[in-house]
Parts: sequence; structure tokens; C-alpha cells
Amino acid sequence: MVTTMEAWESGRGGIDVTAAEVSRQRHIEDRSRRQAWAAAEVESILRYGAFVGSAIECHPVLDRAMERARMHIAAMEQAGRSVYNGTVILADRLHRSKGRFDRTWHAPAGGLWGCLLHVNTLLPQSRNLISLAVGVACCEAVREVGIAAELRWVNDVLVEGRKVAGFLIESFFSPRYREEYNLIGFGINVNNRQFPHELLDTALSLTEVLGRPLDISAFARLFLAKLSFALGLLYYEEERGLHDGDGWGEDGHRLLRCWRELSTTVGRRVIFGFDVMKVPQYEATVSGISGSGGLVMVLDDGCEKTEYSGEIRYI
Amino acid sequence: MANEIDFDEILSKYRSDPFDYVEVCATHTGIVRFRVGEGDAVEAPSGEWQQIPGTVLYQITRERNPKLVAARTNGVVSEIRSELEGQFVEAGEKLMIIRHPLKKKEIIENILKEVLYLFRAPERAKYYFALDVQSRIEKKGAKAVTIEAGEEVLTMSLMKRDTPIYYTGEGGVIHSVYFTPGVSVNQGDPLLGICAPEKLPLIQKIIIRVKADWDSEQGFSA
Repeated sequence: MVTTMEAWESGRGGIDVTAAEVSRQRHIEDRSRRQAWAAAEVESILRYGAFVGSAIECHPVLDRAMERARMHIAAMEQAGRSVYNGTVILADRLHRSKGRFDRTWHAPAGGLWGCLLHVNTLLPQSRNLISLAVGVACCEAVREVGIAAELRWVNDVLVEGRKVAGFLIESFFSPRYREEYNLIGFGINVNNRQFPHELLDTALSLTEVLGRPLDISAFARLFLAKLSFALGLLYYEEERGLHDGDGWGEDGHRLLRCWRELSTTVGRRVIFGFDVMKVPQYEATVSGISGSGGLVMVLDDGCEKTEYSGEIRYI
Repeated sequence: MANEIDFDEILSKYRSDPFDYVEVCATHTGIVRFRVGEGDAVEAPSGEWQQIPGTVLYQITRERNPKLVAARTNGVVSEIRSELEGQFVEAGEKLMIIRHPLKKKEIIENILKEVLYLFRAPERAKYYFALDVQSRIEKKGAKAVTIEAGEEVLTMSLMKRDTPIYYTGEGGVIHSVYFTPGVSVNQGDPLLGICAPEKLPLIQKIIIRVKADWDSEQGFSA
């Protein structure tokens, strides 16, 4: 018997998303983007990003979505078949999810937990922006359901200063053909309301902010459509950069522009560390984001330092 | 990996010329304007977090975007291609040489690099040991940990994207670790120095010999 609390916790039941539904959501995204972007650009960007959700697996429970992705790739290669670029693996719950380093990630029913398989066809300078692209997609999706979300470098999505989503991006080389994949793991606190004690002050779910549960499948479609645009934009800008010469000119990379519009990091006083929770390194004030996504900070002695790897916490 | 090493020859080389000659090459295409001249002393980055940049060596301008390039090592500009002043250069073009005075530790490392297999950074990024390797190191110490080709040995972290790094050299023990977790490593710089277990005595001999020569002769350089 499903209790009221369980139904609340899990929203409207298990997640159920199909590739066709994501494709339809992309059409909605297309119309909506045309209000601010040129139609031809939107069409091209979404065509580039159309691989997202080309195949979708929905599971009631998995140990880890990333592990399932690795097994899927290996099994497909073993069977002599190709992996659909953009395959998305979703699960209602994850039993052994983990964050970066040796951090655990709490993934009970009600959250959006999954992994996108991306065959790495991006140039290195674009590939380094994948993390930012995922953050942009999630932040836009959260804003679209009426919540004032913001981005903290690299891709933490914050609401009221608390984290509503986490991402883990790992490269993976397929066992037989050594093809390189980006496994983009995502965890978004949608309808889950209970967090481990150590996360009570720093984590938040969308349902807690809204005061009502969200249709998790609808939110998943929205997020994946936004992800189509953000990842498509990486390819589109790559093409533009190559066409115009070596770079993106004075306008800069448009994904970075999107990121800056959603972020409150620039100007903030922060503590930086590679693993900031365990080994905080130094305090600084963020002065900007470099053209390749690095965090530009001014230390207390007035010296500027740009970091391309690590984490920050606001002070 | 060399099996034998002529200590006298190598040590005599470092005694007579205790310097590294570091080539400075154009970081990318562009027009070069030098900011130093031959004979100028240059400083490496400093500060607790290496936040204080080194001496500016040159400015390179590409598409009206000027970039200052600073020294990564201290020393003296021993050679400069002044004919390139104001000229367009290709990426990788040699611009100058910095003569860097070696310390005892650097001399030992330089000699060891001739006998160790150096596993180098594929990209400029931060690196940390793979969890399995880290736990073996914590239990037994790095010099007791053997790694084999194909083994996932490190994780490369760049813009919150983690890439497993598989070891590609000869199997052996991790003798030298050249990176610090949380500190960026430049592309091509060594991450690990690996040696076959049977060569550990040779390595030890090198260290003892250089230290002894250093102590008895009070060093090779100022």
C-alpha cells in the first residue's frame, strides 16, 4: 500500500519518459528560444543537440546509473551493435550512487537520477565546457518551473543558497573499441524531501520550494530538452569558432554568456579548493570567468589566479 | 630505462655546468614583443598558491588580443631571438632560453629521470590517484605499489570532468610522484616516475652518491 507520504515523495509515481516525448519537448524549446535567438540558429543548435535522449531507459531501481551506462556500452560492443549516442538511463532510485571523490550521493525515490551517454566528438576546448552546459540546462529547467535558481561555478545549481542538483562527468573508454564517451551523471532533487543529516543545511528539493510535488517525468523531459540546447550550442559554437577563425571573437562563446546570465558567482567572496569540503585552500574574490570557462579570482594580495579545476563555496 | 649509469661522467657534467637550459616557445600564433633581454634575471611564479606570476617574458598578440606570458622557472635569459621582435610567429616557435640554476634535489631528479620511466600528463589539468591505487599507497607506501600497463592509475580532473588515466609504460613500482593533488600539471610534465623493482638499488645508489658528492663538495651551484 502506498502511503500519502510515499506518493508525495515520489511525485506522480515512477519516471516514464520516451525519446518521442523528448523530441516533442525539443519542439517546444525551439519555439520558446526563438523569442531571444535567431530562428536559424535555434534550428541548427537543436539539430546538433538532437542526439540527447535518442534512446531512453527507465528503471525502478539501479545501483548506479553510471555503472549501468558502462555495462550498456560494453554489452552493445560485445553484441556487435552500436551504442545510440545520447542514450539516457534514468532510475527512480539509486542504491549506491556517489558524488565526486569518495562522496556519497543520496538518491531516494522522488529525485531525477540518471546518466547521459555522449560519444565524445567535441574538440578539447568545447569538451571542457560540458560541465558548464549541464549546469546551464538544469538551472534553466528549474527556472522554468518558477524557481529562482542560480549557478555557482562550475555547475552547482543553487536555490536559496542550497544545492538542488549535482553532476558527475566521467570519461569512459569502451572496452573493445576504445571509443571515448562522456558519461554525464545528473542528480536533481525534485520531489524527494528527506536528506541525510550532513546535507540538511546545504541541500534542497524543488518540491520543498514550491510546496507541491512536480510531475517528475515532465521535469525530466524539460531538463533533457534544455540539455539538447546546451550541448547543441557547444557544437554550434565549435562550428562558428572554426568558421570565423581561431575563436569566437569579441562576443565570446555563447554558452559562457548563458552561464554568466544565470550565475551569481562573479563578484562573490569564495573559498576555493580542489576538494573544498576536505581541503579548503584559499579565500579570494571572483573577478570573472575566462574565455575557456576558468574561474578568475583575485587573492588578498591583489594577485589574479585562474583555476580550471576545483570547487568553491561562498563565504 | 638505462641499466647502467656512469656516475662520474654525469656528476662531472653537473659539476661543470649545474644548469638547466629551458626553452621558451610561443604559446600560440601571434605577433611577439619581448619584455626581457639577454642577461636579464627572471623569477618563477611564487606565493603559497603560486598566485604571484613570474617575470613577464613576452607579449603575444593574436587577433588584437594581447597576452602576457610569464616565466615558469627562475634563471637568466641566456639566449633570445631578438630578430623575432614585432614578427608573426607560429605556435611552438622557440623564442628564448632561460638558464636555470639547479638545486641538489633537482639534480637528483634529473639523473633519476634518465633511469625512470616517466609517465607524463596528457593535458594541463589536476591529477589524483585512482581510488584503488590510492588505497594501496596508503597501506604500503608508493614505493611498494606496482603498476602495470593498462591499469587505471590516475584520474585527470579538468572543469569538473574526471577522466581515468590508464598507465601505458613498462610495469614497475611508483618511485617518484611529481604531482600534488589540487595543483595543476602542465601538459607533458611528468606525473610519475616508474622503475622495475630490480632497479630500485640502482636508484638508491644514485641518490646516495649525489647526496654524498653534494655534501662533500658543498654543492654544485650557488
